[in-house]
Amino acid sequence: MSQYLFQQLINGLALGSLYALVAIGFSMIYGIVRLINFAHGDLVMIGAFATLGMLFYGTPWPVTLLVVLLVGALAGAMIQTVVFRPMLGAPQVTGFIASLAVSITIQNSALMLLSGQPRNFLFPEAMRQRVSLGGVSASLTDLVIIGLTLTLIAILFVIVYRTRLGRAMRATAENLMAARLMGIGVNRTIVAAFAIGSALAAVAGLFWGGKFGQIDPLLGSVPGLKAFIACVIGGVGSIGGAMLGGYILGLAEVLFVGLLPQAYAGYRDTFVFSLLILILLIKPSGLFVRHVEERA
Amino acid sequence: MPDAPILQVSELNVFRGATHVLKDVSFEVARGELVALIGANGAGKSTTLLALSGLLPARSGTARMTTDEGTIELTRASTETIVRNGLIHCPEGRQIFQSLSVADNLALGAYTRTDKDWIAQTTEEVYRLFPILREREKIPAGALSGGEQMMLAMGRALLGAPKLLLLDEPSLGLAPKVIDTIFDVIAELRLRGVTILLIEQNAAMALEIADRAHVMEHGRVTLSGTGASLMENDRVRQAYLGVSA
Repeated sequence: MSQYLFQQLINGLALGSLYALVAIGFSMIYGIVRLINFAHGDLVMIGAFATLGMLFYGTPWPVTLLVVLLVGALAGAMIQTVVFRPMLGAPQVTGFIASLAVSITIQNSALMLLSGQPRNFLFPEAMRQRVSLGGVSASLTDLVIIGLTLTLIAILFVIVYRTRLGRAMRATAENLMAARLMGIGVNRTIVAAFAIGSALAAVAGLFWGGKFGQIDPLLGSVPGLKAFIACVIGGVGSIGGAMLGGYILGLAEVLFVGLLPQAYAGYRDTFVFSLLILILLIKPSGLFVRHVEERA
Repeated sequence: MPDAPILQVSELNVFRGATHVLKDVSFEVARGELVALIGANGAGKSTTLLALSGLLPARSGTARMTTDEGTIELTRASTETIVRNGLIHCPEGRQIFQSLSVADNLALGAYTRTDKDWIAQTTEEVYRLFPILREREKIPAGALSGGEQMMLAMGRALLGAPKLLLLDEPSLGLAPKVIDTIFDVIAELRLRGVTILLIEQNAAMALEIADRAHVMEHGRVTLSGTGASLMENDRVRQAYLGVSA
């Protein structure tokens, strides 16, 4: 494999990892309360600034990672409890509009508190090296992002498919009333889903800053929108679908820019949205969802 | 008070939206009894059960469940507490978790139970009552036939360790042979001392198996008596048993 192609693949997988982390939370939240949460991307920004804050105090990276997970989880739990819980059972559009309000509130609060000035942070020197693997090389940053993302996703799958909490979350997502009749504390279960999804988005913020070197209070919009697209591609409501959708989107974007002549590079988002429209035309329920479920 | 009725509903009023669905509903269920609620569609039978499991709020009135562990006010407690205390509601339309496996559905039935040995033993028991479920253990519940889904719903309810079991239309849409299986199990549960409150469209079957029954019309309990006496009642015979006068 040529170094160029390999480099593009690694790039695509790293970007796809970021999209997947955000998309999974987006999908979990949609799955459990049928909420299109446009504030989800802003958790990426919160995670990025939490990282910046930790670095300011010289916190070691592994601790930072844990703190960012915690900050994301707390922020997600708080948003759910304060804003979305009273809307449980309200028409879908109510939650959707509320999520836009939450997004604008978070972005503007961040602008006021942190100013619009972009800030820089970088992964430590050791992580920015390149490593060679039999004739090809890749940046350690990208490899770490890919590795950690896959680890987090594996942990998530264990939680969702192997634990009592995960079973309760799947039950609540499928049938709220029946879940209540099983004695499941559905409010706690819904908070847990928000917390887990938001924690993953916050970690994506840590990676985002480390990979691109710069963060600002509005940085959440792009990953939020891309996560939405990834979910639609993979099938919204499914965790595996969101993950694959994220990777497909990341790879497609990078390969589009990398393999076509330079002149087309500016059409990256045009390409992404065309891909979305194409997939919606061919398979409206998403690539990895077997049937369109309707909620009674 | 060991002899207090396990369920005491008095003057219960429930609204759904602006509609006054339950109007001063009062009845009792004694421990170990099988009580049937019969009545036409829309008479308020399912609403009664939903209110008892805390899924619908009561505007006024009380519903009290008394077990050896104490008394709980069903109109004030959360569904979680109600289920934990042994009121298990097997809802209309079965409401099994379609995308989850049969085993997962049964495990969810035991969500409030903590004794692992008891859960394993009761799961075995459910598989003995409904052997088909064991064969289908790993299959998504949505792939089961209607009858099998009903068996799963019953099995799932049993894993909640019911002291008071609410059954909403267990025979709905099932083949006669499957209905027989379900009613055999209901009879067996009753012999074992599980108190059951049964809603049934099929009034003849319900009255035959019930110790006592209440007839609901337009949100009120209009007639009560033993299963046998209601079977002899002219009004019941005309309205619900299809016997002409």
